[in-house]
Amino acid sequence: MRKLAFVLGGVAAGGMAALLASSEAGPQAQQQAVAVADSVRAPVIADSGSLRGPRQPIFFRHDIHSGQYKIQCQYCHYSVAVSPEPGIPSVQTCMGCHLVIGGTDSTHQAEIRKLRQAWNEKQPIEWVRIHYLPRHAHFPHQRHIKALGPNACATCHGEVQRMPQVFKVNEVDRMGFCVTCHMERKVSRDCSVCHY
Amino acid sequence: MADETGSSIDRRRFLTVLGVSGGGALALSGCSTDRVEKLIPYLVQSEDQVPGVATWYASSCTECPTGCGLHVRTREGRAVKLEGNPEHPINRGKLCSRGQAALQGLYNPDRLQGPMARGADGKFQPITWDDAIGRLATKLTAAGAQVAAISGAGRGTFSDLLAEWVGALGGRVVRHQPFDSEPLRAANRQAFGIDQLPSHDFSKAKYIVSFGADFLESWPGSIEHQRGFAQSHGFGQRDVAKFVYLAPRRDLTGLNADEWHPVRPGSEASLALAMAGLLLEERNGPAALRGALVTFTPEMASKETGLPVETIRRLSREFGAARPSLAVAGGVSSQHAGAAEVCAAVNLLNYAAGNLGETVLFGANPDTADGYAALNDLLTAIDAGRVAVLLVHDSNPAYSLPKASNFGSRLQKVGYKVSISMYLDETAALCDLLLPQHHALERWDDLRPRSGVYNLMQPVMEPVFDTLPAGEILLRTAKKVGGALARFNAASYQAHLQSRWQALAAERREPDFNAFWHAAVQRGGVFGEPVSTPATLSAGAGKVTYTRPTFEGTGQYVLALYPHGLLHDGRGANKPWLLENGDPVTKITWHSWVELHPEAARKLDVRNGEIVRLTSPHGSVEAPVYIYSGVHPEVVAMPLGFGHTEYGQFARGRGVNALDLVGAPRGLFLPYVSTRVSVEKTGNFSQLATTEGNPRQLGRGIAEGVSLEAAQKGLTVEQAYIAEGRGKHEVNTERELEAVRGWSNEQAEATQYGDYAAANPRWGMAIDLAKCTGCQACVTACYAENNIPTVGESEIRKGREMTWIRIERYWEDPADAPQADARFVPMLCQHCTNAPCEPVCPVYAAYHTADGLNGQVYNRCVGTRYCANNCPYKVRYFNWYKYNELAWPDPLHLQLNPDVTVRARGVMEKCTFCIQRIRGAQNKARLEDRPLRDGEFTTACAQACPSDAIVFGNLTDPASRVAQLQQNPRGYRVLEDLNTRSAITYLAKVLLPREG
Repeated sequence: MRKLAFVLGGVAAGGMAALLASSEAGPQAQQQAVAVADSVRAPVIADSGSLRGPRQPIFFRHDIHSGQYKIQCQYCHYSVAVSPEPGIPSVQTCMGCHLVIGGTDSTHQAEIRKLRQAWNEKQPIEWVRIHYLPRHAHFPHQRHIKALGPNACATCHGEVQRMPQVFKVNEVDRMGFCVTCHMERKVSRDCSVCHY
Repeated sequence: MADETGSSIDRRRFLTVLGVSGGGALALSGCSTDRVEKLIPYLVQSEDQVPGVATWYASSCTECPTGCGLHVRTREGRAVKLEGNPEHPINRGKLCSRGQAALQGLYNPDRLQGPMARGADGKFQPITWDDAIGRLATKLTAAGAQVAAISGAGRGTFSDLLAEWVGALGGRVVRHQPFDSEPLRAANRQAFGIDQLPSHDFSKAKYIVSFGADFLESWPGSIEHQRGFAQSHGFGQRDVAKFVYLAPRRDLTGLNADEWHPVRPGSEASLALAMAGLLLEERNGPAALRGALVTFTPEMASKETGLPVETIRRLSREFGAARPSLAVAGGVSSQHAGAAEVCAAVNLLNYAAGNLGETVLFGANPDTADGYAALNDLLTAIDAGRVAVLLVHDSNPAYSLPKASNFGSRLQKVGYKVSISMYLDETAALCDLLLPQHHALERWDDLRPRSGVYNLMQPVMEPVFDTLPAGEILLRTAKKVGGALARFNAASYQAHLQSRWQALAAERREPDFNAFWHAAVQRGGVFGEPVSTPATLSAGAGKVTYTRPTFEGTGQYVLALYPHGLLHDGRGANKPWLLENGDPVTKITWHSWVELHPEAARKLDVRNGEIVRLTSPHGSVEAPVYIYSGVHPEVVAMPLGFGHTEYGQFARGRGVNALDLVGAPRGLFLPYVSTRVSVEKTGNFSQLATTEGNPRQLGRGIAEGVSLEAAQKGLTVEQAYIAEGRGKHEVNTERELEAVRGWSNEQAEATQYGDYAAANPRWGMAIDLAKCTGCQACVTACYAENNIPTVGESEIRKGREMTWIRIERYWEDPADAPQADARFVPMLCQHCTNAPCEPVCPVYAAYHTADGLNGQVYNRCVGTRYCANNCPYKVRYFNWYKYNELAWPDPLHLQLNPDVTVRARGVMEKCTFCIQRIRGAQNKARLEDRPLRDGEFTTACAQACPSDAIVFGNLTDPASRVAQLQQNPRGYRVLEDLNTRSAITYLAKVLLPREG
């Protein structure tokens, strides 16, 4: 019972901190996000609501993980080179680091607390999906990594390492986007390559 | 909004405005492609699952007592396809329809979802497992030694545990299989003093005679027999073993025979004895035996069976001349009162021909249950009130015993009845406590199907429902009861199983148990060769008898019941694949039928589909007529497996239970052919739900056959026609050829552009009709692999089945000729080079792929159905309804293959040559920087085929198996005259010269 109260308390405090922070640094943060370079420290952003892309249950910062700390995409998206599916990291993968890393400032700490709570409650995090194809199209990630190299992610997903909140850069769910690239690279455009 | 954009706003403009000004994706959730989807990751990533990549587990099939090895394909933690384990000595990588459909048992919507007990109102109420185990423990404590169990478990650690557990209480276990092979075992006890089933080596036999034994269907080990039969009978070694079938009804096994003789029901033993007598005389066999057989002359056998004397002499001569030969008997469809006599006679025949130790082998000791005598003993004890608690595990005697047994009312004498089953079957519905057990794919377990072979099962996924392994139920109950059961103290059934395997490892002197265990889990068990036991005639062998068959009742016809090829003893009746796939002989789906000889039909003035009433001394049933020349004129035949009153939504009330017409089992076995019935018209009619089109080829050359002589000479089908003085096929007129050439030229030009110009494979197939037995395992495999919906009885009547591959069965000769040659042709999309379906599609949904397939792009298809109209092979299927929502009631949809699109209403679909497997293999090869290897992957149908009749591969690779088979002189293409230039080459069936 004491433990539960502690967790709940933590969430409440985090929520308040986020609210306070949002009133101060909303629009500026977004401008900063665009300006941030790979080597530059990612800005502190308290409110994800004004950023592009759908709001996620946890304000996971690709710009911090992938941009600032240069963690390879494949560290979390572990199956992208071997499977049609890129692999969404399990909560355990997140906790591998965040068991120790609690965040440098209050806004980060609040989000990491949400993660830890999910882990303690054995509840997976329901991310809002951004890139998805209709069910009648098959996209083998591994073939594209093989052809374009391990850092090819940006070809379709854009510069995720600069995005505080991920949004769709390309119309990956439109066939024209696929076919344009296939034409440029002179690879198969046969329907049955993807549709079966 | 209207203020901003004016009143001239149209719908498209409205959506654009909204898209630009809307606040992110959530605002657009109404639009089809922009709805909010969730990505829900694992909490803890499973080590052996990679999303998007299949994980395979080895396990064992439990759908019949054979004990075939399984490879289970799982995706994202759920089983999606079952295939045979190539290492397993019994099935060698193949799996029959029933085994494949185990998946529909696992995800069956009618599975019991948790323990239940009968409440005061007589209805079942859900309870907790603790409560359930507690109730059982209380009843057991009160019952003392008055405990019994009926179990359908195969021989293995669980059946041992159950026997020890019930034994410790002082009770008894009856292992029951409705289709047990008691007559055969009894005959072996008598002839050889060996209380075992034999194993038969069909691959070595040069001449096969079956006395009503359906070894390709309901016999245990049918996959193994099919493999052996394809080797000896399939024109593999430039010769064909002749196969003669002697039985009142021609079943699927009989349709594969070169000669069928409709003997009078029950008279087979006289024939076998006469043949044995002739052989012994010719070979100067032991005088005592010859003396015993002296009364069984060909003349006597001729009188009994109705066969001409000359035929009997010829069969005996041919049988003796081929060495080794093989005679087989036993099986449900020939199980009349004298079934044991037939088996004993056939034992003598095999002895006389010198087949013992050659094609008839002992030592493997295939698993058998305890037979009907044991069950009858138990029922007598129940009648006497000596059973207070009865456990019924994985067995359904309330259905599989004839009504005449009164099983249901006799069961009421038992104080407390407990069902350990997965389903609410007829027996479970009579019980007081339901303890649903895990499916075989959800639990640790093992089987010992024959000596030296140990199958190990492992859970391939989390349980679908709140169930427990049956072993776990026993162990938990033991902990509650204590006392005599206190010694069953393993922490879990898995621990108990492992301790048994530790004993096995010690017995085998394995140095390292962990290594042994892991290897066994990985391979699906431990497979050794059985030690052969030589069989010699025992003293009692000569005491052969033949009793002229008598049948109960006064009806005009003898009733012959036989196992439905796919429903088996009725356990398949709640699996839509098996119902829709239909019977291989009659092609009837979803309902029962009565088979009448054309002559009998004429006499009664009935037509196909007319409903008749069969009445025997034990009851009467009504079913539609199917007129079939493959039954003896004095016989009416009916399939078993239908007519459930419980068991689930697909089985309940479907067809009639033909067992209502026979009497209770007496003695060793249940005689399925033991009554006479009268047949009356009811005046009602119901259209047969059959998938058969025209049963005749009408000279179209669909299922070709060449004589053995022509095949040995290496003649092509056409040359064989000319050599035999038969007419050639029709040829095209000049005008037709001109049109066809024009289209061909255009097609050839088209291949110069784009993707088509590159070096691409050309996928093709070769199907050997000399090997195909028509078993339909390929059809079930296709349903499983390609998410094909089942459409149900009324849709089948409209010809709307969706099966991408079907087995067509054609009759040669006049339909009522008793020897009518049956030809089976697996028919699937021929992937024509010159495809008639492609140019008629107005939206390019049907088009030619670069690798030579006839592609079908579902998202382009608008459902004009022009392609289906123009397809000469009738292999395109249209989604008339939302089968994608109707065909897989929750949780059956969990079986769907995630690699294949589930088609929506209004879309045409057809065989894709398993393109998802092609693309998967190409992806894998590309990752490994190598070209595709021949045989690295194959289509689902080819993978499943027990006879290895289907071979798939790349035609542009001259070394590939399929390219070489396509060069075979027997090769032809179906409807070649249409110049479709199909990718499938059929190899003509090889026909033996007709005699008699």
